Amino acid sequence: MVAALLGPALVLVAAFVVAPVGYALWLSLTNKTLTGFGAQTPKFVGLANYRQLLTSGDFGHSLRLTAEFIVFSAILGQFLLGLLAALLLTQTGIRLKGVFGGAILLPMVVPEVVASLAWASMLAPGTLGTLNRGFATVGVDPVSWLQRYPMAAIIIVNTWRGIAFAMIMFQAAIEGISREVLEAARIDGAGVWQVLRHVTLPLIRGPVFLFLLLTTITTSSVFGLVYFLTQGGPGQQTQVTSIYIYQHSFRFFQLGLGSAASVILLGIVLVLGVTYVRLARVEV
Amino acid sequence: MRRRHDLTVFGVLLAVAAGVTACGGGGSSSANGPVTLTLLEYQKPRADAVAALLPKFEAAMAAKGKTVHVKLIRDILPDDQFKTKITQEYNAGDAPDVTDYGATYIPGFAGAGYLLDLSSYLTKWSDWQTFFPQVRKQIVQPDGKIYSLPHEANTQSIFYRADVLQRLGVSTAQPKSWPELLARLEQIHAKTGKPAMVLPAGTAWGDGTFGEGFLNVMLGASSQFYNPNDKKWIVKSPGLTQTFGLYAELVKANILPVQALLNPEPWQPTKYVDFPKGVLPVAAQGTWGWRYDWGPQGSAPIPGLFQKVRTWGYPALDGGQPYAVSSVGFEYEVTAKTKYPDQAVELAKWLSSGSAMAQQLVAVGAAAPRSGIEQIAPYSAQPYLVATEKQFATSRSFPPRPGQDQISQAVGQATEAILTGKSDGPSAATAFAKSVGELLGPDQVEGGS
Amino acid sequence: MAVDQHLAASRGSVATPRHRSGRRHRAAGLTRRALTYLVIVVLAVFCVVPFAWVLLGSVDSKAGLYLRAPHLTLHNFLRFFDQPTTPRLLVNSLVLSGGGTVVALFLSMFGGYALSRYRFFGRRTLMFAILLVRVVPPTATIVPLYIIMIDIHLNNTYVGVILVEAAYQIPLLLWLMKGFFDSIPVGLEEAAWIDGCSRVSGVLHVVFPLSRPGIGAGALFAFVNIWGDFLTPLVLLQSPDRYPISIGLFQAFSAFNQVDWGLLTATAVLYMVPTVLLYLFARRYLLQATVTGAIKG
Repeated sequence: MVAALLGPALVLVAAFVVAPVGYALWLSLTNKTLTGFGAQTPKFVGLANYRQLLTSGDFGHSLRLTAEFIVFSAILGQFLLGLLAALLLTQTGIRLKGVFGGAILLPMVVPEVVASLAWASMLAPGTLGTLNRGFATVGVDPVSWLQRYPMAAIIIVNTWRGIAFAMIMFQAAIEGISREVLEAARIDGAGVWQVLRHVTLPLIRGPVFLFLLLTTITTSSVFGLVYFLTQGGPGQQTQVTSIYIYQHSFRFFQLGLGSAASVILLGIVLVLGVTYVRLARVEV
Repeated sequence: MRRRHDLTVFGVLLAVAAGVTACGGGGSSSANGPVTLTLLEYQKPRADAVAALLPKFEAAMAAKGKTVHVKLIRDILPDDQFKTKITQEYNAGDAPDVTDYGATYIPGFAGAGYLLDLSSYLTKWSDWQTFFPQVRKQIVQPDGKIYSLPHEANTQSIFYRADVLQRLGVSTAQPKSWPELLARLEQIHAKTGKPAMVLPAGTAWGDGTFGEGFLNVMLGASSQFYNPNDKKWIVKSPGLTQTFGLYAELVKANILPVQALLNPEPWQPTKYVDFPKGVLPVAAQGTWGWRYDWGPQGSAPIPGLFQKVRTWGYPALDGGQPYAVSSVGFEYEVTAKTKYPDQAVELAKWLSSGSAMAQQLVAVGAAAPRSGIEQIAPYSAQPYLVATEKQFATSRSFPPRPGQDQISQAVGQATEAILTGKSDGPSAATAFAKSVGELLGPDQVEGGS
Repeated sequence: MAVDQHLAASRGSVATPRHRSGRRHRAAGLTRRALTYLVIVVLAVFCVVPFAWVLLGSVDSKAGLYLRAPHLTLHNFLRFFDQPTTPRLLVNSLVLSGGGTVVALFLSMFGGYALSRYRFFGRRTLMFAILLVRVVPPTATIVPLYIIMIDIHLNNTYVGVILVEAAYQIPLLLWLMKGFFDSIPVGLEEAAWIDGCSRVSGVLHVVFPLSRPGIGAGALFAFVNIWGDFLTPLVLLQSPDRYPISIGLFQAFSAFNQVDWGLLTATAVLYMVPTVLLYLFARRYLLQATVTGAIKG
């Protein structure tokens, strides 16, 4: 009975998620490619792909960019702004909470290519780009954001897109804190900052860690948002690991190399994933 | 394993089902039965030109008693997206019967076994001997076979705005050497305060950086770039260092539009805006510029094009005569898995002959790769294209070789480092050699990495 | 409401300390309130402003890359439905997201029921394994997946993309469904059995109907996720007549020379409307699904 009920779902997951993981391991040991003479006879090459990845510098560069992307957009940007939004929107007596909450939700709700498209105009170079117009009012000269500061640009875009997720997680956690505890702390003369530091934050520690882990995992594989705006460029300045994998696999068709890069990314994510599964401490 | 097996069965069943429904219309491949060919075009002017010709091809076949329909697939895409798509289709075995793309892709696809060997078809075709010898020679692949039928050719040179240079008081005579050309460009820069010449560089321009910029300059050096005997690239040479050095000089003198070159679609602000406006008066350009870029129906028309724009040859780094770079343009290919090889080749041949070729050449602004077209309208009415044919004899050229993708990628990155000021000439040359060594491996690079 | 009353009560009970520094407190409270509004408005504006160009461009007859006051027109939308290729994108998106959702939901309902009601060997491990599968990033499996799809002849097919998208959604849905079914007392089901229902019809007539809101939320959640996916169709589809809107938008945006901004932004608006509407009307359920999804799996 269990097999009949659960089997089909598991087969699908096994075929399209688990099997590719195993297959990636095998492909990463070959020089599989789709063009050139090598395409007809893929060979087993041992760890050559890994050696190339670890010595070439390009892949290391992509890992560093990914780390930078995660630290600034997910761990700092989304966390701080999401926490701020959650704290403000859980205060009593704030009007139009639904409207504000909805506005902050919008970036997360829309498909990622729409999010990128919206920012294409924001970040457009020259005096007419929306951001440049905004900065012009305080006397800043127009900047070609995606060319001069491409990493900063995609970090801002990803922060923007992820505020809502942080907000939702924290809002739920803060609403779970008893009002009396907060009120009592305030009456004891604690300032806003002290309440936050000594009462609220310790009480929502669990969700905070969970959020940081989850956002790290999802941010490590963000693809469309960045690819749409920069395709990894200029040069390789925004070639985060997910883009590195795509470019090498589907532009240069070095599928063996791309698979090796996938395996490394996968290894890192799974370490985080196991931590997440343990931390989630779910009842089963 | 078991699951995988089940899925395979499932997939096969599905494919069979699809096949059954697809075959409903009677897909028997008997010699005289009706045949439907698919033809893929990925650039709009080409698709439009070919769409108008196909009914004539079908009529011509009908006159011979054959029923051949051609279904034109239009998938208008930028080069890199097209390449991804067509490679995937070849690999999956469902590419269209006939395709149309540039010569640079062919070594990679032919090597992988995706393309039909056309050698025997072409030797039997009397027209084949009217294709220019340089063209016929350039398209032979390393295995000695021919996998494509070229239907256009072009030359690349340095295009300049004669009207602007005259106004600025800069000489328009053919520069004999790079120092002479540099001096002129500096003169222009001094007068306008803006970049003077667009020469593709960096990664944003894609393969254009190599094929429409770097290679043209490099061919003026005396160093060999590819050794056809051992089929290896020579990635360290004085010529390469000289060429990178020249890019560094152009950047240092503020002659290249660095910011624009780092942008996505770098041709937009340069070739499509500033050159037509006369702000950026010198551009590396090919024959297609007359039509595709700046012609009346082009992307950025320049009124009075033929009065305002003229060309110089590239000055040679080795002290030789200035030269144009000739290359084979788009070619027709037949997929190796086609069900109707004869009819597919027939289509490619028909599109590469007579009036059909003449109309396509005019649509994209290319020269004929063969004789016998110069008298045919509307091509005959385009003297600048016909004149291009004459340049072939004295031009320099470099046929695409296996591994050129990676070379092109490495050139993009090395020149990008020059644009961003991270490298000078010699260090870019070193970085280039190192990165090609990694990308291609010792099998394809002379002296290893 | 309850919270407010509770707060009022607690305020009343501590009237004395409040009285002591009442005025200062009120002034501080006012600035704090003003500051709160200021910050929240700035945040909300930051989140919404990028969409202004998309919306205004879609109703502008001369839309460009820059934000500007539009020459009002609905022509861009009419053109979307009039063009030979664009309506197809919408249909394809509906087919892929609808198909993926139906498959994922159907399988997860039964799977979730098994996880909820049966105590079988390895169940706990399986639940954790499913949780772990959820973190496998699609970018890291797309290369081998592409080759597998070719091998099993599902590359460049609706069915292929639908199955893959469904497989991506199943782990989360299994957890969600299990959670919903857990909250339905077994007693209700047993009552149905006694009334002569078989186990299966008990599931169909009691358990599934009772968890309708949960199932609905799961369906919307999966639909929105698949609807927005870009990487999977980018790699697994090559025929333009099967592209969903995400790919169409990307290609239109990266078109070789002139981009038709009016049509592009109108397409983007049509593309985002369904997800925005779903969130508007089912916000509570979707947010709940997000949080439970994150915390529980």
